[in-house]
Amino acid sequence: MSSCRNKTGVDGNALKQVLASAIGQFSQHIEVINEMNVFPVPDGDTGINMYHTLQRAYSEISDLDSSDVAEVSRRFAYGALMGARGNSGTILSQLLKGFAEQLGTAEALDTSQFALACKRAVQFAYEAVTSPVEGTILTVAREATETLELHAGDDLALPKALTILVRAAQASLRRTPELLPILKESGVVDSGALGLVLFLEGLASGDGKLDSPEKAESPVAAGSGVAMDSSRDASYGYDVQFLMLGKDLNIAQIRQDLEPVGWSLLVVGDHSTVKVHIHVDNPALPIDYAVQSGAILDDIVIENMELQFRRRPWQETSSAAPPKHQTAEAYGVIAVAPGDGLRAVFEDLGCEAVIRGGQGRNPSVEDFLVAIDRVNASSVFILPNNRNIIMTARQAAESADERRVDVLPTTSVVQGISALIALRSFEDSGEDSGEDGGGDLDSAIGEMRAAAQQVCSIEITQATRDSHLGGLAIGCGDFLATSDGQILVAGATIEASVSDALAKVLKAEHELVTLYYGDGIQEREAKKLIERLSFTYSELEFDLVFGGQELYPYLIGLE
Amino acid sequence: MTFKRIRVAADSVCDLPVEIVRKLDIRIIPTYVNIGDQSIPDDGAALDRQAFYRQLPSMRVQPTTSAPSPGEAEAFYQEMLNDGAEKIVSIHVPDRLSGVLNTMRLGARAVDAERVALVDSLQLTFGIGFQVWVAAELAVEGASLPDILEAIERVRQHTEVYAIIDTMQYLQRSGRVSSLVAGIGTLLKIKPIVRVADGDISSLARSRTWSRAEAKLKALTQDQAPLDRLAILHIDNRLGAERFLDSIREIAPQETHIIEVCPTLGAHIGPGSIGVATLNQDWRN
Repeated sequence: MSSCRNKTGVDGNALKQVLASAIGQFSQHIEVINEMNVFPVPDGDTGINMYHTLQRAYSEISDLDSSDVAEVSRRFAYGALMGARGNSGTILSQLLKGFAEQLGTAEALDTSQFALACKRAVQFAYEAVTSPVEGTILTVAREATETLELHAGDDLALPKALTILVRAAQASLRRTPELLPILKESGVVDSGALGLVLFLEGLASGDGKLDSPEKAESPVAAGSGVAMDSSRDASYGYDVQFLMLGKDLNIAQIRQDLEPVGWSLLVVGDHSTVKVHIHVDNPALPIDYAVQSGAILDDIVIENMELQFRRRPWQETSSAAPPKHQTAEAYGVIAVAPGDGLRAVFEDLGCEAVIRGGQGRNPSVEDFLVAIDRVNASSVFILPNNRNIIMTARQAAESADERRVDVLPTTSVVQGISALIALRSFEDSGEDSGEDGGGDLDSAIGEMRAAAQQVCSIEITQATRDSHLGGLAIGCGDFLATSDGQILVAGATIEASVSDALAKVLKAEHELVTLYYGDGIQEREAKKLIERLSFTYSELEFDLVFGGQELYPYLIGLE
Repeated sequence: MTFKRIRVAADSVCDLPVEIVRKLDIRIIPTYVNIGDQSIPDDGAALDRQAFYRQLPSMRVQPTTSAPSPGEAEAFYQEMLNDGAEKIVSIHVPDRLSGVLNTMRLGARAVDAERVALVDSLQLTFGIGFQVWVAAELAVEGASLPDILEAIERVRQHTEVYAIIDTMQYLQRSGRVSSLVAGIGTLLKIKPIVRVADGDISSLARSRTWSRAEAKLKALTQDQAPLDRLAILHIDNRLGAERFLDSIREIAPQETHIIEVCPTLGAHIGPGSIGVATLNQDWRN
């Protein structure tokens, strides 16, 4: 390979190297892109999809030694088209195809061709999408290109033009949440748009290679960053980038010196300009090093990756009251639950308010009245979930405002959960469509009552003293299994007590046993118990859920 | 004299058995299942279904699925046209749930958009399969394009697809049907009985126990009789599917198939589930 950049622009081999470097850098950000997910679940795949698309694209040119920039571009685009995965990958492939088409037969790429090709790329991508959505990769591509167009008459060098494009893309990316409400709601930017920006950043930071091809890293070496990142799950640290300007800069030396400072290190450039990109725990270290070396620093960017990670929506815990709806629902549900786990179960099942309470900690009428007031619905169902709380709930219902408040006499959280699932199922069936009349409320109550009756609940607790009850000799510290206010069995161990209690109440129609484990029980312990129970009761299905309740190691539902 | 001027194409999510595909010369383009670094075509051959479903619960990273690439779509149509198809009716997984239609559209445009009639089936698995099957039968008989498209519409109107989702774990992780999983977090063993219609999945009821869910599925299926065709669907639960078929034997038509759902769909739903796709006899009227 000879000079890769000459007066007429960038040639094919130089473009190939820049692409290799950009893809290598992109690979280090796959997880970050994946995590930009509007759904509160760790299932994002935009990063991996775009990476696959780029990898497949590169496979078309990896063995190519061509100075023809149009050929490299065309084959890269072809590879992207063949390998496109996911929406963002597909749009990326269309951008690349449009870009390549515009280059036509040009042998070298100069700034004006680059600008025209970007413009065509955007047009092509917009045409490829049935109904383009703004606030996505398309918007970022378009706005970046529009900004570049404003500089059409400036006679810029290609790297400068690329920098302008990248800056504009970054700015556009930050605006995506304003254009797409779901992004704003989730507190993220669009993942595909982020992917595009990172790819462009990779192209821009690889442009130093255009002057020193012999120092370019192989794509394989540059692409190995994923494992490095994923091995560091404990800390996300800072993403530090800067340019070092000077004379006789030694890339190999800089790389060697910075290697121990952090991870995902990238040092590219030439003797007068070196771009450093590194992930570190302490951002002062690489900057300090660069200053000490005598180089002039420029374009310093420090980002806190830890915060970016923490800002992921599913890690936010919002304790604020739910927003008042514009129009009140037909009904809302209040449940009483001991323990954070059980509270989460009721909330997940759509309870408007969960009052903390249970055995030994009974809520007051006022607690109920406050909860009723918070429910923005024309009528209210209360699930007291304990026989000692039903009365209080009824009193609250009588003294509540004009709204209809119904108390379902559930005597255990297990019954309450069954009743709530039945209510949701009743809603699914669509039988409540149409009017919100009293008849519908009565049918809903009927469903809930029936479901509560169908489930059998067992509570496991520890005896606090010796006693004789119901013909059973109970020692202090024994584990008691009670059901419906009756003591079923007493055993020396939790396992014995649970197992004997199941044997006592088990009926032919029972198929599912749910164990809600309390705050004194380790998950590991609970899993072991389930393993052993499954062995004894092989025909039953077991489900383990964190309840977090005090005093009761296990609350058990049998249905 | 020309034979089979119109040819029928579909993606692998239609779940049609290979005998029907071969007999009626239907062309199937595979979707992809991505496991780690691998992207495997879901063509019934490259990926061992049973092994896949057995491993699914213990996979550390949930597999993802993806549409064919636009380039593959283009090559797929080009081959059909080269083989003598004058027009292609191409029936696919709903736009709302997948990117397949979009890439097929790009592929069609690259060859000759005029010659490819793209159909959003608004259905899944054998719900798509019925449309493809009937379209291909008519194409073989030499029916016109409008007649075929009209028949597809009638089939769609007389199709119901119901399923019991054994655990919400996979749908929740997949994130594709956010309405259905909204609020599911702690109690994953809620079995919704779902209906596929209008390109979406909605819940008809929820149950914590299998027997209650199955009773509901049975009632829903019986409501669809008299049946022209029936598919019992399952994901790694052939025994459950056979047992269910026994319980509705009296309404099962001649054309009854037991179908294991493709991994492209199954990866989002998870093993254990069973379902039905019904085609009521009235579609012919």
